[in-house]
Amino acid sequence: MAITIERRTRLSGLRCRACRVLQPADTRYVCGECYGPIEPEYDFAGSDPATLRGKIAQGPPSLWRYADLLPVAEPLSHYPVGWTPLIHAPRLGAELGIASCFIKDDSRNPSLSFKDRPVALALARALELGLDTIACASTGNLAGAVAAAAARNGLRAFVFVPATTDEGKIAGAAAYGATVVRVLGTYDQVNRLCARLADEQGWGFVNFTLRPYYAEGSKTILFECAEQLGWRLPGHAVVPVGSGALLTRTATAAAQLLDAGLVDETPFRIHAAQPAGCAPVSDAVLDGYREVRPVRDPTTVARSLAIGAPADGDGSVGVIRASGGSAASVSDAEVLDACALLARTEGVLAEPAGGVVVATARALAARGAFGDDSSVVLYITGNAYKGALTAGSLGPAIAADADEFRTAYREVLA
Amino acid sequence: MSVTVRLATPLRAAAKGEATISIDAIDLSSLAREIAARYPELAARVLRDGEFGRFVNVFVDGEDARFLGDGDLRGKRTVELLPAMSGGC
Repeated sequence: MAITIERRTRLSGLRCRACRVLQPADTRYVCGECYGPIEPEYDFAGSDPATLRGKIAQGPPSLWRYADLLPVAEPLSHYPVGWTPLIHAPRLGAELGIASCFIKDDSRNPSLSFKDRPVALALARALELGLDTIACASTGNLAGAVAAAAARNGLRAFVFVPATTDEGKIAGAAAYGATVVRVLGTYDQVNRLCARLADEQGWGFVNFTLRPYYAEGSKTILFECAEQLGWRLPGHAVVPVGSGALLTRTATAAAQLLDAGLVDETPFRIHAAQPAGCAPVSDAVLDGYREVRPVRDPTTVARSLAIGAPADGDGSVGVIRASGGSAASVSDAEVLDACALLARTEGVLAEPAGGVVVATARALAARGAFGDDSSVVLYITGNAYKGALTAGSLGPAIAADADEFRTAYREVLA
Repeated sequence: MSVTVRLATPLRAAAKGEATISIDAIDLSSLAREIAARYPELAARVLRDGEFGRFVNVFVDGEDARFLGDGDLRGKRTVELLPAMSGGC
């Protein structure tokens, strides 16, 4: 049984983003009415902003300082996650043509990526439900975050990744004791397999059966940015897009900060950063905010963003349009140059997804998308230091087939 | 020509509790029409304007239906209806 601190959420239920029906926060993970995505909703009526700011200021140096704006309470068995630095980056800004440039350095989380945030929330929910196994479909970073969280809390973990995932990320997840299942196929094929297994295995699949909670963790990046800027929204956020969940939850976070009276309403534009080899959202934005067309075979050095059929793709396009934001897609060469530039100018060594963000910021600045001298925050979501480990014993790589998984891993499942 | 339609758990209650249903269809449009005729409750959840909606991903023998062009089901065996959700990044 996990030990949790006092529950002080203002959660009122789970509302469907499509049909808008409010539903109880039970074990459902999609809308019972229309199968659409459901998200926690909070009631800030009667909430005093000054009191809430005070509670947050006295909270722990982790994402749990925002407990009032989260759906679950902190499990004290877990390690601290979040409250990463917001770094003023004048040298990088000068190179990019941005007057007021900030880096949100989320590469400093426990497993070296922002994925520790959603996993912290999903883990808390898994412990509430008494689950003994957590799992995920991942392009690499989520695998490490799930594996580490399971290790810390004495749970079993299964992580499913494309067989082409960076070796260091596979080795890291295996080192934490997770069963790492390498699937011969794209992330979207891994995703299909996991959607089936999530249905059949009864595990806490963080990005499926625990998704309404999991996705809430991504809001906390913007909560922190706003607090670190003195309870102001930045003028712009440049957000890497894989599934699109981080981008859509950035908008959700801004709306909740406004609802709770924690920030004043100021222009806040959200921009998408994607690699040219997998840019379904950026392409849709730049093509007049059209519907997202999935990419069948993503090819990019930024493997953590190689999601061809993003679940929150259309949602991201809508958020960008509503905020007055834009997007760019950048080549692998630009990505690697940008990683080197970030390291050289600000001392932050990011994985290629960070290079995608920096290169996108350069393209947006050149286009005049930032307009004035308002603050621009670049989300740096993953660390480059994920490559040094040697993989221990790994199970066989399998086709994206549930029966093949159960046959190949029958001893682990027994 | 019959295909097996595999339903994720949240959808089964709308299909009389069945995990799989067998439907005669030559393409995805006729599959949608058959679902509307035989399982109106299921249709209300997965179809929009007579076609599979954006919150359901359709896979035909493991392939995302969005890559299949005309949605031809001749010679195909299994259609999976899954939640349109994913993780990663």
